[in-house]
Amino acid sequence: MAEDLVLDTAIRDWVLIPLSVVMVLIGVLRYFVSKLMRSSPTPDAKMVKEGQVVIRARNLKAGASFIPPKSFRARRFYFSNEENGLLHVPKDQAQNPQAQMFSEPNMAMDMMKKNLSMIIPQTLTFAWVNFFFSGFVAAKIPFPLTQRFRSMLQNGIDLSTVDVSYVSSRSWYFLNLFGLRGLFSLILGDENAIDDTQRMMQMGGFGFDASKSLSAEKDGLDIIQHEWALPRFEHRAESVLRKLVQ
Amino acid sequence: MVTKTEETELNQLENQVENGGGGVWEYLCLVRKLKVRRSELVLKHGLSILNDPGKRSSLGPDEWTLYEQVAIAAMDCQSLGAAQNCIKVLQKKFPESKRVGKREALLVEAKGMWEDAEKAYSILLEDNPLDQVIHKRKVAMAKAQGKPSLAIEHLNKYLEVFMADHDAWRELAEIYVSLQMYKQAAFCYEELILSQPTLPLYHLAYAEVLYTIGGHENLIAARKYYASTIDLTGGKSTRALFGICLCGSAIAQLSKGRNKEDKDMAAPELQSLAATALEKEYKQKAPAKLNLLSSALRSLKL
Repeated sequence: MAEDLVLDTAIRDWVLIPLSVVMVLIGVLRYFVSKLMRSSPTPDAKMVKEGQVVIRARNLKAGASFIPPKSFRARRFYFSNEENGLLHVPKDQAQNPQAQMFSEPNMAMDMMKKNLSMIIPQTLTFAWVNFFFSGFVAAKIPFPLTQRFRSMLQNGIDLSTVDVSYVSSRSWYFLNLFGLRGLFSLILGDENAIDDTQRMMQMGGFGFDASKSLSAEKDGLDIIQHEWALPRFEHRAESVLRKLVQ
Repeated sequence: MVTKTEETELNQLENQVENGGGGVWEYLCLVRKLKVRRSELVLKHGLSILNDPGKRSSLGPDEWTLYEQVAIAAMDCQSLGAAQNCIKVLQKKFPESKRVGKREALLVEAKGMWEDAEKAYSILLEDNPLDQVIHKRKVAMAKAQGKPSLAIEHLNKYLEVFMADHDAWRELAEIYVSLQMYKQAAFCYEELILSQPTLPLYHLAYAEVLYTIGGHENLIAARKYYASTIDLTGGKSTRALFGICLCGSAIAQLSKGRNKEDKDMAAPELQSLAATALEKEYKQKAPAKLNLLSSALRSLKL
C-alpha cells in the first residue's frame, strides 16, 4: 500500500542530525588518534631497493625508443637475466605474502593497530544506534526500492506492510558511513579523506607485494620490441630548421 | 623543477622584498617549498626576522624551521658564526634530535674538518642506513676534497639501492665527464634520457659525449641526438646546430675511404639547414662574428 506516512520533524532534529554530527566527530577523533599512534615505518633496505628497481624498469619501458638498440638490449639483459637479473625472482623465493607479513612483528602490530582503530568506533557507534534509535521509521528514501532491501533497511520495524522506502536509523548510519568522505576531505585537508570504505579495502589488501610486481615488470620488459625513434627526429629537425630559416 | 608560474611568483616576491616591501615570510616559505638556492637573500632577510624578538615570536612554531633554513643559508654563504648561533639555538630546543644532528655535521663539513664530519655522518648513518641526504653529503665531501674516484665509489653504492634518483645519475655523469671516462658517462646519460625523455638537456649532453668518444657509429648516433635536441628546443639550441655541422663534417671525413652506401642519408639537407640557421642567428645576435662563423663553416664543408 502506497500511503504517505508523515514523519515528525522531531525525528529529523533528534535522530538524523545528531547521528551525522557524532559520526563526523568520531572520524575527526580517529584521524588525530591515528596521527598520534602512527609509528614511523623504518624502511627496509630490500624493500626500498625493490621499489626503486620497479621505477627504473618502468622508465626503461617508457623511454625505450629513445636510447640506441644496443643499450636497450644491455639493460634488458641486466634486468631479466636468468641468473642474477634484478627482476628475476626464483620460484622458491616468491613467498606467500601473508606468511611474510606475519613473520615480521612490526608489520603485524601496525596492521593490528589500524584495524583496531577502525573496528572499535564502528562497533560502538553501531551498538549505540541500535540501542537508542531502533524501533521507528527514521526517514524516507526518495526512490522506490524492491522488497529485498526490507530486511536490511527496516530492521527495527516489525510491520511488513510499510513501504520499503521508509527506513530505520540503521540505514542512515550506513549511509553516513559510506558518504562522509567528501566532508572529511573538506575538514581535514585533501589527503586525509580516507573514510571507512577505503579503510576496509586497506584491511583486505596486504601491502606491497614485491615479487608479483617484479615479475610483472619483467614480463612487460620481455614483450617490448625496441624501435629506435631517433631517425624520425632527424626528419623532424629538418622541418623545424626549414621553417626557421624561411 | 620549478614551473613558470612559480618562478614568476618567486621573482615578484624577491623584488618586493629587496625594495623594502613586506612579504619576507612568504618569500622565505616559497624558497623553502621550491627548494631553490637563494642563500644570500635568505640569510639577510631571515636574520633580520630572527634578530627582532617581536617578529620572531609572531612566527610561533615555524620559528624553528626558519632557524634551520637560515643556518643552511649561512653555511652556503660561509658565514659560519651565524650558522653556529642558529644551530646552538636549535640544539637547546631539540637536544636529541637527528635532524639537528644532521645540521651539526653539515656545519663541521662547512668548516672543512673532513674527518670529523666523516665520523659524524657515519654515526648518523648507523641510526638510519637509508637516509638519502646523508649519503649525498658524503659524496659532496669526497668531491670537495678533490677525490673524484671516492665520490664515484660512494655514488655507485648509493645508486645500487636508490637507482631511480635521477639527480644522482646526473651528478655521476658529470663526474665521469670530468674524469674523461666517456663510456660510463654515456651510460649515465642514457639513464637520464630514459627517466626524462623530453628534456633536451640530456639529449644534448649525450650527443656531446658520443661525439667525443668518436667512431663512425657513435658519430651517426650523435648526429641523431643533436637532431632530437633541435626538435625539442624548436631550433633554438646553438650548440646543437654547431653539433650537427661538426658531426656532418666528421662523418664525411671518416667515410672518405668507405663505401658511400654506409653513409647515413636519413636527412641529407640537415647539415646545410643547420648552417643556414646558425648564420641567421649570428646575424641577429652577434653580427660582428658573422665572418668568423662563415669562414669556419666553409672550412667544415670539405
